[in-house]
Amino acid sequence: MDVRVPRLAEGVESATVANILVSEGGRIEKDQVILELETEKAVGPIPSPASGKVTKIHVKEGDEVAVGQVLISLSEEGVAGKAPKEKRNAPGKSQAADLAAQGAARPVRETSQPQAAQAEYHYESRSGLPPPASPSVTKIARELGIDLTRVRGSERGGRITLEDLRAYIQHLQQIASAPRPVVLERSESPAPKSVDFSRWGPIQKKRISSVRRTVGQRMYDSWSTIPHITQFDEADVTELVALRKKYAPALEKKGTHLTLTPFVMKALVAALKKYPIFNSSLDEAGGEIVYKEYFHLGVAVDTEAGLIVPVLRDVDKKGISRLAVELNELVERTRARKVSLEELQGGTFTISNQGGIGGGHFTPIINKPEGAILGLGRAVAKPVVKKGKIETRMMLPLCLSYDHRLIDGADAVRFMNELIQALENFPQKELKG
Amino acid sequence: METIRTEIVILGAGPGGYAAAFYAADKGKKVILVDRAERLGGVCLNYGCIPSKALLHATKMIREVNESNARGISFGAPKISLDKLREWKDSVLEKLAQGLSGLSQKRGVEVLRGKGHFEDSQTLRVETKEGQKFISYEKAIIAVGTKPAMPPAFDLGNKRVMTSTEALEIEEIPKNLLVVGGGYIGMELGTVYAALGSQVVLTEALSSALVGADSDLVRPVMRYAEEAFKEVRLNTKVVKMATSGKQIKVTLTVKGEQREEMYDRVLVSVGRVPNCKDLGLENTKVALDEKGFIQVNAQRQTADPAIYAVGDVAGGALLAHKASKEARIVVEVITGEASSFEDVIIPAVVFTDPEVAWCGLTEAEAKERGISVQVARFPWAASGRALTFDRPDGLTKLIIEPETERVLGVGIVGHGAGELISEGVLAVQMGATAKDIAESVHPHPTLSETLMECAEVFYGYPTHTLAQKKR
Repeated sequence: MDVRVPRLAEGVESATVANILVSEGGRIEKDQVILELETEKAVGPIPSPASGKVTKIHVKEGDEVAVGQVLISLSEEGVAGKAPKEKRNAPGKSQAADLAAQGAARPVRETSQPQAAQAEYHYESRSGLPPPASPSVTKIARELGIDLTRVRGSERGGRITLEDLRAYIQHLQQIASAPRPVVLERSESPAPKSVDFSRWGPIQKKRISSVRRTVGQRMYDSWSTIPHITQFDEADVTELVALRKKYAPALEKKGTHLTLTPFVMKALVAALKKYPIFNSSLDEAGGEIVYKEYFHLGVAVDTEAGLIVPVLRDVDKKGISRLAVELNELVERTRARKVSLEELQGGTFTISNQGGIGGGHFTPIINKPEGAILGLGRAVAKPVVKKGKIETRMMLPLCLSYDHRLIDGADAVRFMNELIQALENFPQKELKG
Repeated sequence: METIRTEIVILGAGPGGYAAAFYAADKGKKVILVDRAERLGGVCLNYGCIPSKALLHATKMIREVNESNARGISFGAPKISLDKLREWKDSVLEKLAQGLSGLSQKRGVEVLRGKGHFEDSQTLRVETKEGQKFISYEKAIIAVGTKPAMPPAFDLGNKRVMTSTEALEIEEIPKNLLVVGGGYIGMELGTVYAALGSQVVLTEALSSALVGADSDLVRPVMRYAEEAFKEVRLNTKVVKMATSGKQIKVTLTVKGEQREEMYDRVLVSVGRVPNCKDLGLENTKVALDEKGFIQVNAQRQTADPAIYAVGDVAGGALLAHKASKEARIVVEVITGEASSFEDVIIPAVVFTDPEVAWCGLTEAEAKERGISVQVARFPWAASGRALTFDRPDGLTKLIIEPETERVLGVGIVGHGAGELISEGVLAVQMGATAKDIAESVHPHPTLSETLMECAEVFYGYPTHTLAQKKR
């Protein structure tokens, strides 16, 4: 049997082979990890669907692969699948090596789903040459105004045939006629122009990482398609800070650092339960509001490569200490880029806590397709008037951005009030979890 | 005064001009083709490619007769009649030029003989034998070409100092001939005169002849030239010339040391300059570059939107087929097609002995631009066909992008390289990989097999040679 690239995650059509953990001729158990695929967001393992012997590895590290592409061939138990070893050692290059060689320079031979990975495709040659194509194909593309670097060539060396061009045009038509508006990268703004900054002094240039590019695209998409409103407020967390201090040492012994975030998560779930619109999404294609009855919270993590938002599931069902342990572990794996694609999906609401670094109020951008996001600054001691007396209290800056198509300002204030209530009167029993 | 109206006027009837005229007429345009010369075809047909190839062919026999002795077939010494040779050469040119005239006529292309001068961006004045004519056009294509450069220090007004134009007339066979400049013109004509019996000394100011070609492709040509010529001097500068009776006194600097030598004739082949003067370009918006060539964009449009320029006068490679390709692009652009000269592969051929031809990226260029490539070489000593020609001094090479195995460039030196390179052009232009070439069957025994086997060398399993390890 052939093991193919599975459906990775929504909107993710291709990935790069990061580590191959099996070798040709080797035995492999069901669910054993074959290799790891790196997408724009994370590194994810691909488990084997069956036990057997690896007869052929069709990819090599660094290859870009598309959904449906064959990764390895497996001879299942009992079947005498002879590994074509001699072929690999032959002086000539095997078909797989051909594929591999092509993969290194980006073009990938499509097996199934010919148009699947086309949206994000971009041909790059280290020689700086245009993509390989016959003069007649080049001319048609020029006449149609099609950028051939976006067309995936199916022939050897990534050469683009008329068929490939046709498939790409059909793909473009599908996008154009799709019911849901698809925002193309900077589709309406004029073509960006480079400014020669070196005219005014020394500069350095760095390539934009794929994470950075993805973050940029998502932020631009969210910011330009959702009417954002940001509600500012403050919560008195004096009691909560004391509570945290009280319980921190016990967790610290287990190796977990307790921050305010798990507390905020619990308070948030309480508010979300009361105002479910904040836990909903707008289904633009279906013209419906989708209320989610689960509480999976996204947590914005600042990594070396850029912003990544893993999701902590079923926050409502977990106690503080468990949340703290899971959160720590999730953040660590995210920073090491070891979270699976699944863990980046399915959030219902996102928290962006800048408090660890500092910060006051800011305007977070909604993590589409969610309906709202909560930003946290750093809790600082402030003079506060309480019952006519000035007291020093720890005040936590809260910033709630929400989709105004779903939520009105009055709801936002009510939600904020509920959240502040939950934070200021945090039930001790939650800590027994 | 009569004003002729036309859609397209083309100035210059060389391979750029007539190609544009014919293609435009075929696409239904009203075309006027203007040229100063009586005979169509421009430099290529009259003083360039065609006559030089005719002479190279005719004199090749002399060279081959010598080689034939070793193969057991001997002839007597050749008797050369320059008049007859010239007559035959001219008959070739005449035939071709008449062909062009006929083709113009049948297509309804009006040919106007006379000097063209731009009055403004929309009007060309032509001085014909019947007087001035004014052509009001929609689009003009300038294809006036280049002429041989003659530095003032060499310009004695003495017919013994020749450019390629005069040398092709072979007025006589000089006993001693100095060829100044080791470019393709000097090398080709030096070969002709050497075969006719001249003692040829060739000088080149740079450290290598045939600049632009990879050094491993030039080597067999140099080996041959060193034998056929009396001397090949690199890094040599010709300082000045003077008439001295029936000879030319030439002052040159060889390795920093000045020398004076006497020659019966001198061929100056130090480059070509554009024919941009006296065209009235100052009355248009056409702009020139620092070397005097007309500035054009990828559509070969000049700074004046109504005027296009193709061929030598637009700069770049000074090659007839480049002019013809540009001509077709311009006509397509004018007729509303989205054509462009970008990424067009222009092969270069030098008709020396042996011939050198290349296309796409050269190895030297890859190095210079920091492009990492893999080079596969197939020496012709391993080609059965080359041995039957008794010319194993050839080499076929492929410049390959390692990751994709795409063929970026092809270089060939050897017998008939000029004919062989076209497969390379097809491969590079089509974006073929080395595997595509290796897996296409080439007939045996032919020289074309060297391309297939060269691709096989890349993969490590050529039949007739041993692979350079690896792969």
